[in-house]
Amino acid sequence: MAFHHKILGIVTLLYLCLFLIHIIYFAAKKEKIKSVIWFVLYGTLVLHTVGLILRWVESYQLGIGHAPLSNFYESLIFYSWCLSLILVLMKKRLNYPAITVFGTLISLLLMGYASISPSIDRNIQPLVPALQSNWLHIHVFTCFIAYASFVVSFTCGLLYMFTWKGVVPPRETLDDINYRSVIVGFPMLSAGIFTGAVWAHYAWGSYWSWDPKETWSLITWIIYALFLHARLVRGWKGKKIAILSVVGFASVIFTYFGVNFILSGLHSYAT
Amino acid sequence: MSATKSKPQEKATPPEKSFFESIQDFLASIKFAIILLACIALGSILGTVIKQGAGVDEYLSLYSKSTYRIIAMLGLNDVYHSPWFLALLFLFAINLTLCTLKRFMPILRGDKKITLPDEGTMAGLSMNFRVSDNLGDAILSAMLKGYRCIYSGEEGKVFQKGALSKYGVLLIHTSIMLILIGGFVGLVAGFKGFMVLQKGETKNTISVGGERPHEKPLGFAIKCKDFQVSFYPNGAPKDYVSTVEVIEGEQTIFEKQIRVNDPLSFKGIQVYQASYGKTPTFLFNIGGEQITLKERETYRKKDLVMMPIRFEENIHNFGPGVMVAYLDQGEPSTVWFLKNMERFNEKNIQGFPVRLEGIKETLYTGLSVSKDPGIWIVWTGFAFILFGLYINFFIYFRRIYVRNISGGYLIAGVAMKNKEAFKGEFEALKGKFDGISS
Repeated sequence: MAFHHKILGIVTLLYLCLFLIHIIYFAAKKEKIKSVIWFVLYGTLVLHTVGLILRWVESYQLGIGHAPLSNFYESLIFYSWCLSLILVLMKKRLNYPAITVFGTLISLLLMGYASISPSIDRNIQPLVPALQSNWLHIHVFTCFIAYASFVVSFTCGLLYMFTWKGVVPPRETLDDINYRSVIVGFPMLSAGIFTGAVWAHYAWGSYWSWDPKETWSLITWIIYALFLHARLVRGWKGKKIAILSVVGFASVIFTYFGVNFILSGLHSYAT
Repeated sequence: MSATKSKPQEKATPPEKSFFESIQDFLASIKFAIILLACIALGSILGTVIKQGAGVDEYLSLYSKSTYRIIAMLGLNDVYHSPWFLALLFLFAINLTLCTLKRFMPILRGDKKITLPDEGTMAGLSMNFRVSDNLGDAILSAMLKGYRCIYSGEEGKVFQKGALSKYGVLLIHTSIMLILIGGFVGLVAGFKGFMVLQKGETKNTISVGGERPHEKPLGFAIKCKDFQVSFYPNGAPKDYVSTVEVIEGEQTIFEKQIRVNDPLSFKGIQVYQASYGKTPTFLFNIGGEQITLKERETYRKKDLVMMPIRFEENIHNFGPGVMVAYLDQGEPSTVWFLKNMERFNEKNIQGFPVRLEGIKETLYTGLSVSKDPGIWIVWTGFAFILFGLYINFFIYFRRIYVRNISGGYLIAGVAMKNKEAFKGEFEALKGKFDGISS
């Protein structure tokens, strides 16, 4: 087991701790615990970053140096890193443990799945020729930041269906955060699709080949475009928007996981 | 889109619209856009669920005959090029154009005059305050740093900021049109084909697939000088490199190494490293004579007719071998030759001792060749859309009205979006004015 695996193991445990601290908060509802949550989240993000950098450095020591963005394992740990990054960047608005608990739970599940599943190769693998491009970094980064923002949107949509005084934020706030996370996610998803298209032009000879991953990213893009139009043009608010954000996230999940496991195509590095 | 949109203009709606007008309205409606986008999304999903562009046999192995008939009839075996899918995209382009025009005609015509609302309206706005001091224009402008004065009259001034954001939606929609146009240009004026080259081979045509497969002249020739594949220690491919020469007429124009992610570009045509493979050649000793045969190459000598038909790299761990078809007293027959097995690399066919002496595998490179004149239109669309998204969501339009009143000013502010942030900004502004005038 490489050193970075140990660091990432600790990071996984920290996500578990974070989840438990949230539970304690819901039971005790002490404001102090909130600051503990953020403190631990910052620490986790820092250590997670260290883990990713170490994996990057170790790949160079193996003589196959590349950013840790190349296979399914690396995408899982990167997704959970992006999620924590988005939570920290939106801290001012996300100061509700009811929202952050979902973020940390999903991070925990991603990290746990990445480290436990027997079908995932956790070793650093060399880059196949198709992935040897500088577009890899910007493409993966933009896509996963988008996926992470949509987690926040989904959380708000889901919480909208429930009321728990003092825990679930007021509905207008949820609606507002939902919209704000989508206006981060949507441009990022667009950038992800476009950088992917430019890269595909140079690597595969065609900027759009209706590969399942491409097609599903377009479907996701259409759903969030509908979300924005429904809200900005038709003035939709509340429950309808909440449902749309849940549907949008279902499409994100399918774009990320479903396409890899169910449909085959050009993006088959990720399985 | 104007900040003075306090009273919606009463439109004199005609009692009855003609059929043509209501069709026109529908085509330009957001409802139609939603229906179209939903249909496009559903069509795309079908295309990812049903296998695309496979042969008839493959479909029949997956579906029943009647299901396949429905699939073929609706073009579900090639959704993204089927007439109904292209029609949806076309209708979407029309809808998008009409929607955008309808919404932006007033702004583009610029027929909205900027005016300062009257005192009553301003006092009625949620964000306003009074300053009881005549500060003068210089200080006023300094206070409203970053704002541009767009109207100045005796009764007061109008300042605004972030006016660019008004054009965000227009830019995004125009960019989507650009991308669709670029795609269409590529579809009409571009092509895509394939070229297989062995080391030393030169070709000036490509094979174009599709419904009528044919060879298409390129206008120049490509010579493969060398092809190399390298592997990582774990056996994964590391690099595919074709060293090629571009030849026009008799002249070599330039030489380039084509790699995955690094195509050759010449006269608007791109040549990509797509695949590679091996073709075997077989060295036979037939009655003391050395003969080199390729796969499916017939050899005749008196009564002997034979042809290597199938090459296997490893047959039951006995090493490489080739299946040879021959005529035995006029009857077709086959036999396996195993290169490394003493007893199996020799056979008497029609009185001739035939021995397999060697198998040589030569690499060939598979190059994908395409031309897409619409590519730069698409790239422009991408760039503008991102810029449009940025100005639409992250710059927001706001106006500040300053009305001269006796002994001071009445100041009011309006923001179209992001009202919460503007409120904070406006409060800070109020604080600054309070600090000066006290």
